[in-house]
Amino acid sequence: MVLSKTWQNFFRETGEMSRFTWRFFAHGFKPRYEFAEFFRQCFLIGYKSLPLIGLTGFILGLVLTLQLRPSLIDYGVESQLPAMVGIAIVREIGPVITALIFAGKIGSSIGAELGSMKVTEQIDAMEVSGTNPFKYLVVTRVLAATLMLPVLVILSDGISLYGSYLGVNIRGITSFNLFFKQVFDALSFSDLSPAFIKTFFFGFAVGMIGCYKGYNSQKGTEGVGRSANSAVVVSSLLIFIIDLVVVQVTDILGLN
Amino acid sequence: MAKRTFNNIKLGIFVLAGLVLLIFALYMIGRDANLFGSNFVLKARFENVQGLTAGNNIRYAGIQVGTVRRVKILNDTLIEVTLLIEERMKPFIHKNDIVSIGTDGLMGNKLINIVPAKDGSPPVKEDDILATKKTVGTEEMMETLNKTNLNLVLISEDIKNTIRRINSSNALWKILDEPTLPDNLRTSMANIQKTTAEANEVVIGLHSIINDVKNGKGSLGAILTDTSIASNLNDAVAKIQRVGDNANQLADELTNLTRQVKQDVNNGKGTVNALLKDSSLVIKLNSSLVNIEQGTAGFNQVMEALKHNFLLRGYFRKLEKEKKKEEASINKTVSMP
Amino acid sequence: MQAEQETIPFIQRVTAQQPVISIHHLYKSFGTNAVLIDLNFLLNKGENVAVLGKSGSGKSVMIKCIIGLLRPDSGEINVLGKEVTTLNQEELDRIRVRVGFLFQSNALYDSMTVRENLEFPLRRHWIQITPAESNEKVMDALTNVGLAHTVDMMPAELSGGMRKRIALARTLILNPDIMLYDEPTTGLDPITGREISQLMAELGEKYNTSSVIISHDMNCIRTTADRVVMLIDGRCYTEGKYEELKKSNDPNVKQFFE
Repeated sequence: MVLSKTWQNFFRETGEMSRFTWRFFAHGFKPRYEFAEFFRQCFLIGYKSLPLIGLTGFILGLVLTLQLRPSLIDYGVESQLPAMVGIAIVREIGPVITALIFAGKIGSSIGAELGSMKVTEQIDAMEVSGTNPFKYLVVTRVLAATLMLPVLVILSDGISLYGSYLGVNIRGITSFNLFFKQVFDALSFSDLSPAFIKTFFFGFAVGMIGCYKGYNSQKGTEGVGRSANSAVVVSSLLIFIIDLVVVQVTDILGLN
Repeated sequence: MAKRTFNNIKLGIFVLAGLVLLIFALYMIGRDANLFGSNFVLKARFENVQGLTAGNNIRYAGIQVGTVRRVKILNDTLIEVTLLIEERMKPFIHKNDIVSIGTDGLMGNKLINIVPAKDGSPPVKEDDILATKKTVGTEEMMETLNKTNLNLVLISEDIKNTIRRINSSNALWKILDEPTLPDNLRTSMANIQKTTAEANEVVIGLHSIINDVKNGKGSLGAILTDTSIASNLNDAVAKIQRVGDNANQLADELTNLTRQVKQDVNNGKGTVNALLKDSSLVIKLNSSLVNIEQGTAGFNQVMEALKHNFLLRGYFRKLEKEKKKEEASINKTVSMP
Repeated sequence: MQAEQETIPFIQRVTAQQPVISIHHLYKSFGTNAVLIDLNFLLNKGENVAVLGKSGSGKSVMIKCIIGLLRPDSGEINVLGKEVTTLNQEELDRIRVRVGFLFQSNALYDSMTVRENLEFPLRRHWIQITPAESNEKVMDALTNVGLAHTVDMMPAELSGGMRKRIALARTLILNPDIMLYDEPTTGLDPITGREISQLMAELGEKYNTSSVIISHDMNCIRTTADRVVMLIDGRCYTEGKYEELKKSNDPNVKQFFE
């Protein structure tokens, strides 16, 4: 059977990506550990993304509240607004939107950074300088992305809920305590835990795809741009695919 | 180096903030699930738990005191519910308190209500089984509502039939609906007047014929010498006059009615409204219409009889001719403008 | 084929001294594209050899094989008495401490300052080094290339020539025995290129390094190289001193000197 070139490329890329991922697991947890670089990446990937993700989270909570409000008033269940927004943000919108923003910011920056390091031979230079570039560059970034996204999602959820609290107070009045009591009364562990666990996968996907695309960048500045671009596209797509899988798995496990 | 340390401090604060928030969220959620803090267990047995599941809230006199830990089927008619209740509530819950299943709000989750008994029996111990009360579940409520609904259906069916009958009585609705009713009444009035006038003419005609006959003049005089015929004719004329009087009376009545109806129409109330409001008016109207019908029918019969009487045939033909002429001239004047 | 037969006695003639790099029957291909075909090469101690060849003739591939960045398909590469192709990662790193590699695009780490760039190989290779020693070495290396004032600047703030010097300083900071230069003057203006070539020659003498210089810049080769090897289609076509080759009538050789 003759496959078209597109399909050939697709399968080749998938295979290479799988090998790259395997390499991460095979080499990532053996010494030598690049702690200093890992913490530096955590700082850059996690802390430095907080303003952007905090802002989007805040706006998200506010807008969601203002948008849901008229419909809820129509059904006469305006008092359920905190509960609905809380569940929507914690279960789905918070993790997915944060992960998408994260993919846009971190996926592209990793893709571009490693891509330009690749084309300007910095990766080779690292190897020559007695450093395993895969461990120094890829493992640290993937781990940092995997561990920082959940932290960002938790913080972003909190900020979103605060935005939602302000949104409720634009048109009505509710106390801070009452709002958060209603939110947490509506939430259960089965809302929080799958949503929290999937963020690790989101972070891993963003880091892994960004590193893969950058590490395998084509020569030239155009190649770097393409790496950054396709890192964002592929990781955004993967986020949704992972989201779909997680929904199915939690459904099967009866966590919904 | 100093910058790196500073960055790591910021990173530490960032991660800790996330962790604190996570733990806070877990605690806030866990508050209801009683994962933290000490609890004790009580049991209650129901025939039907109405959809109660593990995790539903327990209220003691309306206060949140715990959650349902497990719902277990003992046998085909008995279900045991294990209640997880906060330790601090132990002295307040008594052995003969009653447990029932309720709903949080109208459409909310199921919950367990513990209703305090007020006779001061000893407090519960771990694993005690509390008495339960069968409560009206939504389904039973629905059943009752269903009965009410069926009754409502019957009632509304009756009302519907009544209304349909009213609707299907064409006569009434025609009267009520007819916006031309006043006009019709007026034209019938005119007809009646015309008829009366004709009757008068007939009477006059008859008088002259009778006089002729009495005086023995004309062809009739020769044939009819019998006076009995004359007296008969007189009788008939008297009858006709009576009918004419009746018709006059009727016409007066109708004029009144028409004025009333017209007034209503002018006031924008509408005939229908006015008639519906005043049921006596309807009855009055009905009876007067019947009177008119009867009156005109009787008169028509008399007139018909007279027309067929060979004696008066010639006179009536003449009249008809004149009438036709008149009608033609009226039609002309109507169509002219 | 004729060229191949000629090269072998040539090499043998020059092997009077101790070789620091010797390559025998090296084959390397990417997919179906054979880049190096039966390459033989020798570098003696203290010798500076220029490798001349057109783009795509496999010059870069050759030195990347020497440093272990690329793994050859077959053949032997002996560096400082060790067979590179059979070494494990740790042994390879130990060889790499003694072999410096100047990249064509400098490969300065964009995210680090000049100081961090220079410290990077120090920290990675010698774990036990005091900050004072490290600082001293960095300043020494920068002074050698005349750019001590740039120590806290970012690579992006520097000109092309300065970056090349910093890269040279970074490569030399480990006092390597062998230097591998990948097109050191490409992308520079002729004056800067000449300066860099002179600096290379100076520093080579100062640190007593042997070097392989890949270039097609004839000025650079004349300044720095004792011997010139010509690669054509993945094979050693010919070799000799700069002046000898310049006089050659072979059209393949002559085209480089025009």
